[in-house]
Amino acid sequence: MLESLSKLFRNTLFRLSLLGAVLFVVSLFASLGYVYYATVASELRAVDKTIQAEVDEIQNIYQTVGLPDVQRLIVLRSFAFEGRYLLETPNWFVGNLGSTAMEQDGYVPFTLIDGVPGKPFVSKHLTYAIQGEDDVDDLQDRRIRALSGFLIGPKGETVAGLIVGRDVEEIMRTADRVRTAIITSSLIALFLGLLSSLFVSQRFTRRIDAFNRLATDVRAGQLDRRAPRNYSEDELDLLAEHLNAMLDHIDRLMKAMRYAGDSIAHDLRSPLTRLRTRLESTATEMKDDKSATALWLAAEDADQLLKTFDSVLRIARLEAGEQREMLQEIDPKIILDDIAELYEPACEDVGLGFLAQIDEGLLILADRGLLSQAVSNLVENAIKYTPKGGAVKLELSRNMDNRVVISISDDGPGIPAMDRERVKERFVRLDKSRTAPGSGLGLAMVDAIATLHEAEFVLGDGMASEHGPGLSVKIIFPRRRHLRPAIKE
Amino acid sequence: MRILVVEDDEVAADYVRKGLMEAGHVVDLAPDGDLGLEMARAADYDALILDRMLPKLDGLELLESIRDDGDTTPVLILSALGEVDQKVEGLRAGGDDYLAKPYAFTELLARVEAIGRRSDPTAAVTKLKVGDLEMDLLARTVKRADQNILLQPREFRLLECLMRNAGQVVTRTMLLEKVWDYHFDPQTNVIDVHVSRLRGKIDKEFESPMLHTVRGAGYRLQV
Repeated sequence: MLESLSKLFRNTLFRLSLLGAVLFVVSLFASLGYVYYATVASELRAVDKTIQAEVDEIQNIYQTVGLPDVQRLIVLRSFAFEGRYLLETPNWFVGNLGSTAMEQDGYVPFTLIDGVPGKPFVSKHLTYAIQGEDDVDDLQDRRIRALSGFLIGPKGETVAGLIVGRDVEEIMRTADRVRTAIITSSLIALFLGLLSSLFVSQRFTRRIDAFNRLATDVRAGQLDRRAPRNYSEDELDLLAEHLNAMLDHIDRLMKAMRYAGDSIAHDLRSPLTRLRTRLESTATEMKDDKSATALWLAAEDADQLLKTFDSVLRIARLEAGEQREMLQEIDPKIILDDIAELYEPACEDVGLGFLAQIDEGLLILADRGLLSQAVSNLVENAIKYTPKGGAVKLELSRNMDNRVVISISDDGPGIPAMDRERVKERFVRLDKSRTAPGSGLGLAMVDAIATLHEAEFVLGDGMASEHGPGLSVKIIFPRRRHLRPAIKE
Repeated sequence: MRILVVEDDEVAADYVRKGLMEAGHVVDLAPDGDLGLEMARAADYDALILDRMLPKLDGLELLESIRDDGDTTPVLILSALGEVDQKVEGLRAGGDDYLAKPYAFTELLARVEAIGRRSDPTAAVTKLKVGDLEMDLLARTVKRADQNILLQPREFRLLECLMRNAGQVVTRTMLLEKVWDYHFDPQTNVIDVHVSRLRGKIDKEFESPMLHTVRGAGYRLQV
């Protein structure tokens, strides 16, 4: 869960579209904030203005006609619908806001939840919440916007506490609703933004993944793979087009290179054959033993060259896949029994143990000759690279996926994981094996034969020993229904 | 043996002729298919060496023509197309053996001598005898100097192949083809191992060795 989440955040497109969504939500929030400011806040400002004007008026009246007139004015105005007043001296109070200190009938006792009464009129406007009595419904928990302060006498003394306010409950309720709406809509936008980021990134990632799979396959040697196109000519489609053109080009180059190699091999065979014949016939005529030996050795070198060329051409023909029609239903046991019988004495002679564990009753589509050659190559490799006293194991079994597996393992030095794909290439020989005889074509041949059989050719660790992890080579055949049936004549 | 070589590559043909003549055979050369067919029809050869790709008349067509005439002369097909399916095609067309280019001359010589000998009316033999070595093909027994020799099935077939070509060189590739039915060359000396085991059984306890190694070529069973 956590891992898939961190994987999601590693996805560039997801991050980008999420950023876009967040930016959108922020701007949405800002514009809704302006709406709030332009409506609710401006209404409150209008209220504040009215209150300020009234406070100024009351102060003015006090200064011109005195406290009793102010008292009357407050009483009168307390009957008005929206005004809220309190005028309070140490001995009495009037107004429709009750005082906690002087509770009397007819007045609404209230508790100022916010704000401190008794501050000078210069204090800022505060919104007080009043807690009314339970039976006075419309005054219950209503909010007023008020200025609180003191009437100031001629000598600057405080004469009475004064609160002038307006009931702003309706405005505040609207404000609350607007605020809730702003927050809710922002959250909805954020959620939808998140969803759309997911959707967009998933869609895009699928197409990017196709490219990644393509690259992996091409690296694994499947040069015939191409990127899927939807012909929308959008940037990904164009990228696919370019990639495909690039792969076509690589494919052409590879083919040209191979063709050149094959042509060289083909053209050099005839002169080499003649060279070999010449060496051989001279060697037989030679009376001098030492010279004859040298000529025989030269002839053997020519043989080695011819074998290499022959292998190159065989691989080329196998890769062309012309021989797929030769595959027949066959019990691989027959093939492996023969190989085991052929190589067991050879193993014994060089001091290697040979184990064969061959299951019965399996069936594959194969060409006996080619498969024998592949297994023979692998067994010979195992013999060549396993130090004396080691063991070579030949196995035939069915694996967990119900696929037939031929496995050849040894307890020699093995092949490092990073080289395991590379050694399947033609002429690739690892540094360690450069001194050993061989052409570097054995595994390429096996690979070509496995491919022809639509089988997987997998290298892994074999039987570990003091010489290293050993090597295990598997040819994993496809389940039979995946195979094209053999063409019977 | 009198051998007809139908081969368009002059140099190759010359070497083959020279080599075969040195081995004591009489050799005629034909540089193209038409002439090859004419010569094959005109004279009685012990063996034909036939290149597959020939000017004028393809090697396989030539072969089919002479087989249609009822001519059973043993034919060795030579070709640069050294693949097994090509081999099958060649044998189906009536060839007796098939050799892919590049080949060692010894290989060619051994094979020609082997098929040339096959034409002897020995098709229904049940017993093989070379010196004091005897093989009963029906009872699957082997004796040397009246001593029973116990052989594994594969060793039996190996010896049978050598005895059928007694006195002649049998190459490793030929053994691999005829005894194991493999048409590829192993990189190791795997055949030598089997031959030396066989040698241990048939030669070790006897004074004169019969199974000889021929340098650069293969093996020969000889008294």
